[in-house]
Amino acid sequence: MSEGPGISPAATMRAMVTGDRDRWVKLLMFCCASVSFLGVLLIFLFIFRESLPAITKVGIPKLFLSTDWRPASGHYGMLAFTFGTLFTTVAAMIIAAPLGIGAAVFIDQVAPEKVGRGVRRVIELLAGIPSVVIGWFALTLLVPFIRSVTGSSGFGMLAASLVLVVMSLPTITTLSAESLRAVPVELKEASAAMGATRWQSIYKILMPSAREGLIIAVVLGMGRAIGETMAVQMVIGNASQATASLLQPGSTLTTRIVQDMGEASGVFRSALFAQALMLLLLSVFLIISIRLISRERKHA
Amino acid sequence: MSANDNKMDINNLSMFYGDFKAIEDISLDIPAQRITALIGPSGCGKSTLVRCLNRMNDLINGVRVEGEVILDGENMYAPGYDTIALRRRVGMVFQRPNPFPKSIYENVAYGPKLGGIKKKGELDAIVEDSLKKAALWSEVKQNLQESGQRLSGGQQQRLCIARVIAVEPEVILFDEPCSAIDPVATQLIEDLMAELKRNYTMVIVTHNMQQAARVSDYTAFLLVQEQGEPGRLIEYGETNTIFTNPEDERTERYITGRFG
Amino acid sequence: MKGRRADKTASAVFWILGITVVVILGFIIIEIFARGLLTALNPKFIFGKPEAIKNGGGVFPMIVSTLYLVALSLIISLPISIGAAIYLSEYARKGKVTGFIRFCLDTLATLPSIVFGLFGLALFVVYFQWSYCLMAGAFTLAILNLPILLRGTEQAMNLVPDTYREASMSLGASKWTTIRQVVVPSAMPGIITATILPIGRIVGESAAIIYTTGLFIRNIPVNPFDTAAPLAGYVWYAQTEGQGDYLRVVNGGAALLLIMVLVIYFLARYLGRKYQEKRLLGG
Repeated sequence: MSEGPGISPAATMRAMVTGDRDRWVKLLMFCCASVSFLGVLLIFLFIFRESLPAITKVGIPKLFLSTDWRPASGHYGMLAFTFGTLFTTVAAMIIAAPLGIGAAVFIDQVAPEKVGRGVRRVIELLAGIPSVVIGWFALTLLVPFIRSVTGSSGFGMLAASLVLVVMSLPTITTLSAESLRAVPVELKEASAAMGATRWQSIYKILMPSAREGLIIAVVLGMGRAIGETMAVQMVIGNASQATASLLQPGSTLTTRIVQDMGEASGVFRSALFAQALMLLLLSVFLIISIRLISRERKHA
Repeated sequence: MSANDNKMDINNLSMFYGDFKAIEDISLDIPAQRITALIGPSGCGKSTLVRCLNRMNDLINGVRVEGEVILDGENMYAPGYDTIALRRRVGMVFQRPNPFPKSIYENVAYGPKLGGIKKKGELDAIVEDSLKKAALWSEVKQNLQESGQRLSGGQQQRLCIARVIAVEPEVILFDEPCSAIDPVATQLIEDLMAELKRNYTMVIVTHNMQQAARVSDYTAFLLVQEQGEPGRLIEYGETNTIFTNPEDERTERYITGRFG
Repeated sequence: MKGRRADKTASAVFWILGITVVVILGFIIIEIFARGLLTALNPKFIFGKPEAIKNGGGVFPMIVSTLYLVALSLIISLPISIGAAIYLSEYARKGKVTGFIRFCLDTLATLPSIVFGLFGLALFVVYFQWSYCLMAGAFTLAILNLPILLRGTEQAMNLVPDTYREASMSLGASKWTTIRQVVVPSAMPGIITATILPIGRIVGESAAIIYTTGLFIRNIPVNPFDTAAPLAGYVWYAQTEGQGDYLRVVNGGAALLLIMVLVIYFLARYLGRKYQEKRLLGG
């Protein structure tokens, strides 16, 4: 039944063995957690490695800051596509942010419980629809629609932006709804008790309290939009010059890569990797922004 | 009471959470095969004290202990002491019943399996024996594969007692075992404890004085004098004496319900 | 009253926004199914082989590729995720190291999938010389899914009540035994539910797999190092090439993808509900 008292050699050894095993286990689990670091590191390293030929041969100004894209004669300026990415993203957010936050307010505050739950399910479903399916839908319905209304080809920045609205909407709505739900009930009740109408409560109390979360929701929606590839590529027209006109075809960083990668080799291929590097930097920039926003709130 | 009759000796035990001293300089005997009750108002340190007796407080970050707890002549706080073996000798029943989300059988067999027992025949015998000792066997013998969490509160607590018994401990610690259970089930468990006394040394923490008076042989009264101070042992003695003729007036005030 | 009128207008606006979202989804489902549901449900389509030049035929190898890819990728990412979740929820202390790991996870979560695709191309296909194959895709997707899977797994473990850990340790179990025999088994239903989102992601992913797994095959992939052509990538490829009766393939493929996503979605809801029930009964 009872083994001897605690300080016998056998017992001490057993304690040591168990302790050691615990230490090995902790190390193994730490390695698993470090895969995240390993992943980021490897991705950065390999993308950078593949971009290096282009960076050295073409030079950073001509590669990142030039809109001159003529691969046939060795010009690989990606600025037009960086612009395309930013333009379509911002244009998409102009619609998606109010739509997404509004839908979140609807789910959380305005709709009766069952309707709210239903819309939430719709959003979850929308989030899971593959990019190519949305792209195909846009190609068969949206592009002809734009064509008939505006007389243009239908392909272009407008179609691309609308596609990005659909793709970033679930992210924005879900995260906004979470932020709204996180606002303490006492705040909402206090506002109602003071005789504020529902809209006044929402506008003056609820949304400002959730402001940080709502901003982060939109920023992450932008991240989603920046990274979208297939759906955008199918409707944007894939032209290689910068354009601020909604009805003209254009390209983004992601669509340019997928458009040209199949044929590219050598420096051309490396230039496309450099565009991926640009995307990587944009993502890191977004993450740091989010961290800064959160930290600001904590000090406020 | 000679020192040989004590299963455990607590000598000048103090415990710190970081800088905060939770209990101070507690010295107490835990006589073998008797029930010792720890009573006192909320926050007086009785739970903290009892969790020192199987070194469960070690699991919390920043905890520090001064003093000794002697089990069978060895100080369990000596460096290098095997805490895992300790917990097999000193078992614990918690305030809220906490059976694992496993079958009744698997709950009781968990401890023996840790000890290396693998043969089904042996395990079956241990499970049956433990459940019988916990006065639960007749109620569950048909449903050993059902989830332990489907039992009622009182049954769950008896399952937890069976789970501890299966490890064949020498001491069983009860941390307010009936506070989350209805009175009828509580009575069952109190009767059970009187039975278990024959084979185990027991320490029970309770905020219910009547329970302490009914069940225990020895009682210790702890108190925090003022807010921010550590819990201290005020009085300790045979239960009868404590409840009919306490020496310290603070004990008397607590017992007659004038505070806490 | 001005307040009352503003309130009503605001309500109406929000209702319109809410309905807009539903309408968008409705349009997508109706349009895709109208164009492709019949093809998608046609056995010749599901079980047939693709035709290279005419771009027609069936998509059976593609369906197999997708399912194979899901299985491989989960085999790789589940153990790592569970290990990482165990570390974060049972061993780690709040500090710089944990904060840094979370930063890495956040970064992975925000990276465009095409960046993962190019990474997979550079590392697995070229550097390791595996060439286009399922393994390259599986590993790439495993890294891509790590943040999502880890979040769900970690949450499942955090939901395991501390009192189980206490009970286990008070019976003389070591920390690792407690994790292995109590925490992880208790968290298992939640962990399984957490795999659903990554599965959906793998089924729908195209940018990350066309550069790692392959675009077109005629026969079913057997060996994990065989080239494969998951359905989402093939649909895109067929549309881009635009030859032969690609319309039928793309319509049918898109509808088929939509069906798969719907099935996964309802499966997730069903499992999620069962898991909730179990927790409420058992807690």
